[in-house]
Amino acid sequence: MDRRDNASSSAPALGPDASFRRDVLRHEEARGLYACFSCGACTAGCPISEVFPEFSPRKLAKRVKLGLKRDVLEDPYIWRCTTCRGCEQHCPQNVRLYDILNVLKNMAAEAGFAPPAWVEQTRWVMRTGLVYPRDAALAKKRRARSLPALMSRGEQAERLIARTGADKIKAREEP
Amino acid sequence: MAAKREPRIGLFLCHCGKNIAGGLDLEALAESSKGLAGIAYVTTHKFCCSEGGQAEIAGAIRGQNLDRVIVAACEPSLHLLTFQRCGEEAGIEPQFADLVDIRKWTMPGSPQKVDPGLALEESRKTVELAVKRMRLKRPVPLVTVKAEQAALVIGGGIAGLEAALDLADKGYQVHVVERQPTIGGKMALLYKVYPTNDCAPCILAPKTAYANIHPKIELLTNAEVRSVKGHVGGFRVEIVQSPRYVDTDTCTGCGDCVAACPRRVRDDVYAAGLGPRKAVFIPYDQAIPRKAVIDAANCLYFRNGTCRLCEKACLAGAIDFNQQPRTIGLSVGAIIVATGFEEYVPSAKTEYGFGRFGNVVTQFQLARLLDIDGPTKGRLLRPTDGREPRTIVMIQCVGSRDETAHPYCSGICCMYALKHAQIIREMVLPETEIHICYIDMRTPGKGFEEYYRRTRDMGILFIHGKPSEVAERPETKSLVVKVEDMDIGRPLELEADLVVLSCASVPPAGSEELSRILGIERDDSGFFKELHPKLRPVETRVRGVYLCGAAQGPKDIPASILQARAAASFADGELRRGTIRLPASMVKAEEIEKGGA
Repeated sequence: MDRRDNASSSAPALGPDASFRRDVLRHEEARGLYACFSCGACTAGCPISEVFPEFSPRKLAKRVKLGLKRDVLEDPYIWRCTTCRGCEQHCPQNVRLYDILNVLKNMAAEAGFAPPAWVEQTRWVMRTGLVYPRDAALAKKRRARSLPALMSRGEQAERLIARTGADKIKAREEP
Repeated sequence: MAAKREPRIGLFLCHCGKNIAGGLDLEALAESSKGLAGIAYVTTHKFCCSEGGQAEIAGAIRGQNLDRVIVAACEPSLHLLTFQRCGEEAGIEPQFADLVDIRKWTMPGSPQKVDPGLALEESRKTVELAVKRMRLKRPVPLVTVKAEQAALVIGGGIAGLEAALDLADKGYQVHVVERQPTIGGKMALLYKVYPTNDCAPCILAPKTAYANIHPKIELLTNAEVRSVKGHVGGFRVEIVQSPRYVDTDTCTGCGDCVAACPRRVRDDVYAAGLGPRKAVFIPYDQAIPRKAVIDAANCLYFRNGTCRLCEKACLAGAIDFNQQPRTIGLSVGAIIVATGFEEYVPSAKTEYGFGRFGNVVTQFQLARLLDIDGPTKGRLLRPTDGREPRTIVMIQCVGSRDETAHPYCSGICCMYALKHAQIIREMVLPETEIHICYIDMRTPGKGFEEYYRRTRDMGILFIHGKPSEVAERPETKSLVVKVEDMDIGRPLELEADLVVLSCASVPPAGSEELSRILGIERDDSGFFKELHPKLRPVETRVRGVYLCGAAQGPKDIPASILQARAAASFADGELRRGTIRLPASMVKAEEIEKGGA
């Protein structure tokens, strides 16, 4: 079921939860969300909304303000942000939506809603120090340019990531 | 008597660019008008009001020996004066220059616009009637009458007082008539005013106090206008002042009578129905005059002839049960109408439960609850149980922008909702959740958008949607507000300990009667009608009667002040020469002698 299909009017009425809003807005960088007056410039300029019309930064901002906690944290689209910060460029009220999205992603990850692919990639970086797997072709290229061989393990990366607590994140269960 | 000479009427048909020429066949209209009795000359012009247009009219008057002029163009309130002046330049008296509106049938956007055929037919009728009227017109001589150096201001709120002080400072004798026992009007009851959040009584007091001591101002409280006769410069006004049953000359405002009075009733005016007062009372601390007044409907003496405890308690001997209504006759040169507005009573909107659910109040009631001089001494307590609300939902546009109540936007409700939200958040109950449900937020005044932004920054939540209903939980008397948030397109149920309705501003009771007494019009909403909605927002169709403040339409304090000064300026403009030229038909013969033409 796609929960972001808001067209259906048979959906039960939602009860706002002020504590979730306060949890999000405790973060200094998210505080500006109050200034949002839902003009929609963010959505109009969002490349993700162009590809996935069901994603709307405007609606996301309002859902956070209304405190629709589970609804927001479960939303897979918060992980699809390209971090282009176009929404912030367009915002007439200086709302830092990109920063707010980071707060939400952290909260979602803690709550066990991180996408499996994201968790898998984090683990990969911890294991190897690399975002992408290396292969024989890459090793050959490096040799040809007289570059040293890459470390076999990402020890530094592992320590860094462990400090952030990202290693403890559990992926959500995919249906 | 000499044989009646046939008048020579010139008819000028205006294209108004394409506003008229684009909507009917002007040449056909010109052709058909030529045969009308009295018509000596007909022509058309692209813009009659332009310099060239006026020159052509003046030229035709001289060249064609015209003695009367009709221009068929736009509304008389817009350009009649233009053509009267133009005619006067060429030697025609203003009464023989007329302007009739044919543009309403043709102009794009006009509510009366019709197809070209019908427009031509209607315009023919309009022109024909105007020509008949003009042909039969007899010259009415102008006479000079005395302009009374005095003015009547109806309404002692902020608009009326501003106009009164302006005129009084210019030297006119001003009589202010106020229906309530104190001047100050609605502003005195607002607690604070946006966008500065100043204390309302504090910034009002300099005006009320000055009006009270001004040697040129007479304050007539508890009084209403009964009749008005006469004309600009010489209105004869009859005012009835209801008895106060307290002699204001001897009353010291000490309050001993109030303390002694055993009769406690609900105060519907100064506590907005949320607190008590005595049958003898002083409206509030800054009331002017700060004198007691007896509410005869509730006084035990007037009800069954007993009690008189206030009389015994008053050391000054100011209580006077024998006072009778007093009729006061005044002679004034100009009248300023500043009767203000009232808050719409939202019981008709049954879906919001006002009157049924104890914890649904209006914004004006909330202002009294927040006021440190109000019934709760500034503590925000729920009417049903005296508990502090943890959650508040405000509902905008109750009775405004609503075709089943009042179609217009009241214009001030967005701002006072923001004001009350700020006050509650900053000064009263910082932890209380406040939601404001709105259709559109309208904050176009100077510094107002910034005020709206500041309210958002304080963490007040805005729900973009008009609630469908308010339900009450019987056990707690708390409320549930059903609303769709349009921003996310989903229905919400908001829990609220207190619901506040931002209601329409409506014309006060008695407006219709006053419009009859003064002979001025009211608009579709019941507010007094200005002469032109854009260009003549202060004058009425009665010369010498001017409008200001919310009497003309809902408006806030800065706009009321501006219009009050404008009304005073118009009154001054009419009266300052000491005499006025008027058509003799408006003036009684004995007055002409008195005025010394």
